Formats: sequence, C-alpha cells, structure tokens
Amino acid sequence: MIARDTLKGWGFVAPALLWTLAFFVVPFVVMGAMSLATLEGRTLVWGFSLANYAELAQKAYLWRAVLVSLEITLTVTVLSILLAYPLAWIIAFRVPPRWQRLALLLAILPFWTSYVVRSYAWLLVLSREGVVNKALMTLGLIAEPITLANTRIATVTGFVHFFVMLLTLTIFANLIQLSPNYRRAAMDLGANAFQTFRHVILPLTLPGIVTGAFLTFVLCIGDYITPQILGGNNELTVPQVIMVQLGRRADFPLASALAIVLMGLVTLAYLGCARWLRLDRI
Amino acid sequence: MTAPVSIQHVDHWFGTYQALTDIEMEIAAGEYITLLGPSGCGKTTLLSVLGGFIAPSVGRVLIGGADMTHVPPAKRPTTTMFQDYALFPHMTLRDNVGFGLRMGGMGRRARHAKAEEMLGLVGLADAANKRPHELSGGQRQRVALARALAVSPDVLLLDEPLGALDLKLRRAMQDELKRIQRAVGTTFVHVTHDQEEAMAIADRIVVMNAGQIEDQGPPARIYQKPASLFAAGFMGEMNRIPAKASAHGIETPFGQLPLAAPGAGPLTLCLRPEAIGTGAGALFIGPATVRDAAFFGTHCRAHLSPEAAPDLTLIAHLPAASCPAEGETITLAADPAAASVFEAA
Amino acid sequence: MRVLPWIYLTAAFVFIYLPVGALVLFSFQGGGLPVPPFDGPSLRWYADILGDEDLVAALLHSLAVAGGSSAVACTLGFLAAYGLARHVMPGSALVRGLLIAPLTVSYLIVGLGLLMVLQRLGLPLSLMTAGIGHVVINLPLCFAIIYASMGAQQQNAERAARDLGAREWQVVTLVTVPMLMPALLAAFFLSVTLSWDEFIISFLLTRFDVTLPVEIWSLLRSGLSPRLNAIGSLVFLVSIVAVFLAELLIFRKRP
Repeated sequence: MIARDTLKGWGFVAPALLWTLAFFVVPFVVMGAMSLATLEGRTLVWGFSLANYAELAQKAYLWRAVLVSLEITLTVTVLSILLAYPLAWIIAFRVPPRWQRLALLLAILPFWTSYVVRSYAWLLVLSREGVVNKALMTLGLIAEPITLANTRIATVTGFVHFFVMLLTLTIFANLIQLSPNYRRAAMDLGANAFQTFRHVILPLTLPGIVTGAFLTFVLCIGDYITPQILGGNNELTVPQVIMVQLGRRADFPLASALAIVLMGLVTLAYLGCARWLRLDRI
Repeated sequence: MTAPVSIQHVDHWFGTYQALTDIEMEIAAGEYITLLGPSGCGKTTLLSVLGGFIAPSVGRVLIGGADMTHVPPAKRPTTTMFQDYALFPHMTLRDNVGFGLRMGGMGRRARHAKAEEMLGLVGLADAANKRPHELSGGQRQRVALARALAVSPDVLLLDEPLGALDLKLRRAMQDELKRIQRAVGTTFVHVTHDQEEAMAIADRIVVMNAGQIEDQGPPARIYQKPASLFAAGFMGEMNRIPAKASAHGIETPFGQLPLAAPGAGPLTLCLRPEAIGTGAGALFIGPATVRDAAFFGTHCRAHLSPEAAPDLTLIAHLPAASCPAEGETITLAADPAAASVFEAA
Repeated sequence: MRVLPWIYLTAAFVFIYLPVGALVLFSFQGGGLPVPPFDGPSLRWYADILGDEDLVAALLHSLAVAGGSSAVACTLGFLAAYGLARHVMPGSALVRGLLIAPLTVSYLIVGLGLLMVLQRLGLPLSLMTAGIGHVVINLPLCFAIIYASMGAQQQNAERAARDLGAREWQVVTLVTVPMLMPALLAAFFLSVTLSWDEFIISFLLTRFDVTLPVEIWSLLRSGLSPRLNAIGSLVFLVSIVAVFLAELLIFRKRP
C-alpha cells in the first residue's frame, strides 16, 4: 500500500524533476566539465585542465573583476539593508493599518519594472543632462554637471534602488508577523524604543534580514544588465567579463570557469549565513 | 511591592464604539481581583488602560495614589502578563526573566541571581538555560509570570493567563497563581471569561458586560446574591421563573413570595439549581415530572416539568444518593432566601 | 521625533519613484531628448513605437514566451507540490531541495549552461529555447508558492472527497485545484511578470526572433531617446497590470 502511494507520488513529481534534471542539472554538469576543457585555436579540447582557473588567477582583468563584483555586491547589500529596514519599520508600525497595504504596494511597485528598463531609467536620471544634475544646478549646489552615469556610483544606485524594494518587502513581512505583544512586553518591562529594537525586534527579524541579504547577494553578483548599462566599461564585473568571453571570443571554457567562480562566491555567502537562513521561507 | 489602584469615571471609545462606560473601581493593595465577562465586554480594554497601553478617553487611573492616566507602560509600577505570553524566543529563560532588570540597569550578576530566584518561585529553577520553545504551555505561563514579577511591580495585570491551557492544567495553575500572589503580596488584576476560574482564585470578582460593571464583590456574594440578571446568569446555571409584582411582594406560578419587587413591570425570579430540593422550603413548587436525570458525582442533575407551570423547565441539583427515574413525579420546594428577583430582560 | 518617520517615508518614495517618474514623464516629451526641460505632453513617441513592426513583433514574442513558460512552470510546480505534499516519499527533502535549487543560481549561469548544452546538441536557438530557460527559473517559485499553500485544510477536504468515492483525478480537479486557485494564479502571474521582464536568458537563448527586453537592449546602443521611454512605460504598465491581477485574485478570496 505504501509502495503504491510512493509510486504515485513519484509520478506527480517526475515531470518537474525531469525538467530540472535535463535543463538545470545537466547544463550545470556540462558547464563544470567545460571549465576544465581548453581552447586550442578555435577547437575545443575536453580534458581535465586547470588552465582556465590559473588564467583567472594570473590575469589582472579577470581577478580584478572578481574584486569589483564583490565590492559592489557587499556595498549594495549593506546599503540596501540600512535603507530598507527603517522604511519597512515605518510602514509596519507608523503607517495606520488601513493604509499599510497600499503603502507597501506603492513602495514596491517599481520593483516590477523590467530591469533593462529600470537601468535605462536611472541612466536618464543620472546623465549629464538628467534630472539630478539639472536639479542640483538649479539649487546652485553645483556649477557644472557632474559625471554620475557610467560610474560605480550609478551601478550601486541602480542596484540599491531595486534591492531596497525587495528587502522592504521581506523585512516588512517579518516585522508584521511578530506578535505586537513582544513590543508591548519589552516596553512594559522598561525598555525604551531603542532598547526594544536592539534586544527584541532586531534579533527576532535577523533570519528575515539574512535571508533578504543572501537573496540580494545572489541576484546582485550575477547581474549583467545593471553594471553594463549604468557602470559603463570603466570597470568590469564578473558577469560582464563572462559576456565578453562569450561574445568576442566564444571562449566557453573560460566563461564556464568564471561562472563556477561566481557559484563559489555564492556558496561562500551561503555558508556564511546558513545559520540564520530560512530558504524555505523565500 | 504592592499598591492600591483607583479607577475613576473611565470612559473609552474606539472611534464611535464605546468600549468602556463609567468605570468606577477601587482595588486594595495586595488584593486579587478578577475581571470577568464574555468576550467583547471591555475587560481587556480596561486591563490595557491599567497597563498604560491605552489612554482612556475620559477619567483617571491612580496607582498608589499617583495619577498614572497618561504615564507610558515602561514608567508604570505595573507589568502585564500577556495572553500569548510574549516570551522572547531568542533568549534563555534566565534572560527573559532578567530582561526588565537589565532594562532597569541592574548588573549582570545581580540580575541573574534575581532571575533564578524568580524561576525558583515558579518551580523552574533547573530550566534557566532553556529557551521558550523547549517548554510546555504550562511552563511558558510560569516563565511569563516570573518575568512580570521579576521587576517587583506594585500591580500585576494578567490577560487571560490560563486561556491557552487545557482544563486540568488550568485548574492546577489557578491554585499556583493564588499561592504565588499570597507569597509576593502584589496586587493582581486577572482577566478571564471562565467563572469557575474567577471563583477559585479571586478575593473579589468584577463582572463586566457591554463596557459596564454589572456587579463587584466577593465570589460567594456574587454567586448567591448577584446584583443584576446578567451577573446572575454569567456566574452559573440559573432557573429563570417569570413573576410580577403584587401587593405583598411578588407573584409567581408557584404562589406569592414575600420578596421586594424591584419594579412594577414583568419580573424574573432567579433560583440556582442547588436551591431546589425535595425537602421543606418556604417556596413550595409542588409536584413535578422528571424529564431526565443524570448522575454528576457530587449531585444528580434533573430536568423537571412542574405541574403548576407545565411550560417551564426547571433544573435541579438533587442529592446524588437519590437520583429519580425518568417519568417519576417528585415534590419540589425551594428556599426563597436563595432567590433573587430582577426586572425581566 | 514625530515627523522624522514621515520625512524618511517621503524621501524613500522620491528615491523609489525618481527613475520611473522620469521614464514616464519624458515618454510624453515633445522634442527628441528625454531630459529636462519637459516640453510635452505629446503622444508622438507612442505613435512612433506602435507603428514599429519589429517592436510589436518582439512584444508579441514576449507575451507568448511569458504565457507559455508560466503555464508549463505552474503545471509542473503544482504536480510536484501535490506529489510531495500528499504522498509518502523517501528522500522528499532532497527532491524539494533540488526543485528549489535554481533559485540560488544566477540567471546568467542558467542561461550559459543551457546555451552550451544546446550548442553541443546542435539545436537551433529560438523563442522555444528561451521559454525552456524561463521554465527552469520559474518552476522553483511556482513550486514553492503552491507547496506552501497546501495546508491541512485542503488535505481534509481531499480525504472527505475520497471518502465520498472520488477517484484521484477527480480529487485533484474537483477539490485540490479549485481550493488552491488563489495560489495557482499568484504563481502564474508572478511567473508571467518575471518572464516578461527577463533579459539575460532570452538574450543568450534566442537568435532571430527576440523578446521585448532584448529588442530594447539593442535599441539602447543608440543612446537616450523618448522612444525608449515610451516602450519602457508600456512594459512597466503591462507588469503592473499582471501584479494587480495577481493581487486582486488572491485577496478577493480572503476578506
């Protein structure tokens, strides 16, 4: 009886499982094998060579890309949490309950803009002729337009904009599900607003924050569009370098090695915060 | 520590809904009070007013003689034990119980000693390093009590503290709460909708309904001589017998009774089931047919149709030893001193 | 202290709406540059893009890929969730982990891996291959959303149906699916939105027929233009409609 039930269960799971195996796991294995292959001229030689990884360690434009990616991703993650937490807090505890849903909906609405369009929109805002420069000049804060587009500032701004919305959503969900009695109990026992936050609310929302931070890390470090449109080509991130390998030189082995490195960074981030992660709650 | 509480003419509105109407109450230092009533009667709102979570629309709250009406919860000599306990899940029991002391600036060593002492008081001395999720419901309830008492409040406010426990545990915890209250001497204000719990535990019961106080007094007095029809019904099972005022008192289907009529209109005579018996009594009900009877250990609970008023069904608690059979006719009488008369609702 | 939260809230909203606001405002620009000063309103750029056959084709491609891949992802996700939630299976935690795994991998890597496999097999790139990629990234989300909403309440209703003589397929179609409709629709529309906006997988896995984000990308090379603003505003509008539909369908049932 149990065996029949199990068989039925596998029947239901099989399509999804096969799809994931065929189009996710197999490509992944191929990519791993590819990272160990080499290009001789234009022909691909399968093998077990660490040449691609060695090249990565030797060539400055490759390992610098890893550093740039890490710097940008960490900056973005920290900034986004610092900006999103107060926003989520205000919506959860300061906005009257009847307006809460609307406030949250509005706060994350532009989240649903296509990321190509969103990056373009920031380019518009940050360009020499754009809204920010025009506003600063009208206010008399600057005399000449400053260069914002095609810099790391623009990349970080574009990323932070996106992840503030994402994190506001996850942190809000975390805050609102806490029993209001936790805050009441803390205040009742003599804690002031800061102590209540520091000793009660922050530890209780930490799993949510870490989950959001991990999500930010994963999405940010693997994104090609935002740095490509907003950062220009002054400094390249790992995804940009991967695309260069694919486009100009069709160097799949090196691109695969870079992708594996990217995966390695994500795995490190995962191990770093596994203690608090609740991936089942994403 | 302990202090008296004085609630003076408190009204409270939520928008256009009046949750509390003209609440007047004096609580002596060290008294154990229960606020009893159905859900939505305003008892939890009143507790929130005492705890400082709600500032009343009108009126004053004095604790230990000082006006506390607009003092925030943190600055009041009260602590609240919440219905869901609100134990901090990321802290050990020691840190939970010591939380208020830490906020008050007490040093680590003294705080831990005091927290462990409080855990000892509630019988959890060995569990100081555990976290709330490792405990049973009854144990959590004890920790919440220890946490609230650790800061030595003058007044402890308990919001349905036993509501989440099963019946057997609830009865055991009642005795425990009473013991701890006697040991610390703090004024306890305890909200509940369970009248048995209220009677078991309170020095004085305050019966509330629709935002008003219906009755307040010692459990025995409220049970035997309730001040209102609502209080009579809420305190336990009650026979309601229609009556009207007459020249010599009141007139019932079972004859005249020399009881003072509270009004000229239709009246209700209230008789507890245990006040009706087969023995002698000044209120003679007469022969009645037993519709059914069930054995309850301490008594026999019977539904009866009196011949004098066949439309009426009386409930009587008869001695367990003499449980009548179904269809049997027995002669009933009651003591009018155990009866109360109200205007009919 | 009282006004500080409101100042922060306002500042946050300005930051959040600055790019979208500029995008939409300058899509109505009269002149040829989408920068201040605003000299509209004019609808000329909307007329311009709606007359552009390549763009309209890309838009239709995007809708087809989004709708098709979401339907597949939702169906597979539902079946897997039903199997895992309702049947006793050894290693079910491992299966769940495997199904969720693509969530933690960059779209770029998913696309790159698929691209290499397709090239090895000599299969041509098309909208179909992009759709396959979109199912890979949306399946974990659909599965997670539907799995999370398969509570004990549904299970009891299913048992009752079985008790009353319904066969397995009747239980699924008459009880489980209707009860899970809000979650199914939420998963579908979320998936549509993500697929509609997705760039990198579409970019790597399509060749001649492309989706809208890829088309926009190629237009971007010629720099800022009110045309792009108009396209972007329309894309945004479609996403918002999908989000509102999801919102409406889910929360209408929960008063």
